[in-house]
Amino acid sequence: MRCGRPSGGKPVMEDEQSFSDISGGRLALQRRYYSPSCREFCLSCPRLSLRSLTAVTCTVWLAAYGLFSLCENSMILSAAIFITLLGLLGYLHFVKIDQETLLIIDSLGIQMTSSYASGKESTTFIEMGKVKDIVINEAIYMQKVIYYLCILLKDPVEPHGISQVVPVFQSAKPRLDCLIEVYRSCQEILAQQKATSTNP
Amino acid sequence: MVENSPLPLPERAIYDFVLFLSSQFGFKLYLVRPFIPESWLNSLGLTYWPQKYWTVALPVYPLITIVISCVLLFGINTMSTSSRNSIHTVTDNCAKNQLQKKYQEATPALKITLFVK
Repeated sequence: MRCGRPSGGKPVMEDEQSFSDISGGRLALQRRYYSPSCREFCLSCPRLSLRSLTAVTCTVWLAAYGLFSLCENSMILSAAIFITLLGLLGYLHFVKIDQETLLIIDSLGIQMTSSYASGKESTTFIEMGKVKDIVINEAIYMQKVIYYLCILLKDPVEPHGISQVVPVFQSAKPRLDCLIEVYRSCQEILAQQKATSTNP
Repeated sequence: MVENSPLPLPERAIYDFVLFLSSQFGFKLYLVRPFIPESWLNSLGLTYWPQKYWTVALPVYPLITIVISCVLLFGINTMSTSSRNSIHTVTDNCAKNQLQKKYQEATPALKITLFVK
C-alpha cells in the first residue's frame, strides 16, 4: 500500500539536518511534519564515490591482466570488462541504497521505503494494530556494536510478548544522535495513538 | 591456615626454576635426534629410533591445530551472533518466564538504573 502526499491546504513543515553514519560518512535527515499525526523521515546515504569505483575496477582489471599473463588467453580480458560492467549495474540495482524513508501515520501504520541507486524502490508497510513499540536497540554487527532503530511487533498469542523485530534504516546506519531525533518524533505519535486507542 | 594468594613465594620460585631448567634440558635432548648424524648415534649403540622426518613433523601437528582453532573459534562466534532482525536481541527464554513468576515481596529485588541524557 503506497500512501500519497497531501496536496494543497497547509504547507508541509520541512527540516533538514546533517548527521554521520557509523563509518563516518555524511547522512542528510529530512523531516516532514504533514500533520500532528503524520510524519516522514528521509535519510539520504552518501553517493557511490569515484575513488572506490576506480579502486575496484583497477583491482579487477589488474587481476585479469595477471591471469592473462599466466594463461595467454585474451578472453579473460574481455570477460573482466563484462564482469565489471555487469557487477556495477547489479550493485546499483540490488545493493546500493540511496535513500531510506520512514512514514508514520497515526491511524494507519508505518511505511518504510528504500530507493536504490538505479531508481528501484522497495516498500514495506506495517499496520498500526501490529506495532507494539519503536525502540533503539543495541546489537553486534560485523565486529562492531551499533545502535539501530527497530519496530517491535505484537504477538497475537501472548499479550505482552514480542513476535518480531523489524530494523529500520538498515543500510543507512545512522549514529545515536540521529536515532534519538527520529525516536522522539515517533514516540510522540505512538503516545497519541495509544491515548486514542485506550479512550475510544 | 595458609591463604591462597598469587603472590610470589620462595617455594614457587624454586618450582619455577626447576621447571625452567628441566624444560631447557629436555629441549636440548630433543635437539640431539635431528642434529647428531646417524653414524655417531649408531656407534653409541642407539639404533632403533623413528625417522628424522618425525622430529619436525610431530610438533607441526599441534601448532597447525592451534592456528586452525583460532580461525574456527572466530567463525563459530560470528555464526552464532544473532542478526539485527532476530528476536534474540530483545528477549530470550529467561525473560519470558518472568511473566509467570509470583512476587513474594512488594518491591522487586532488581535495581533499575536510568541514564537520562
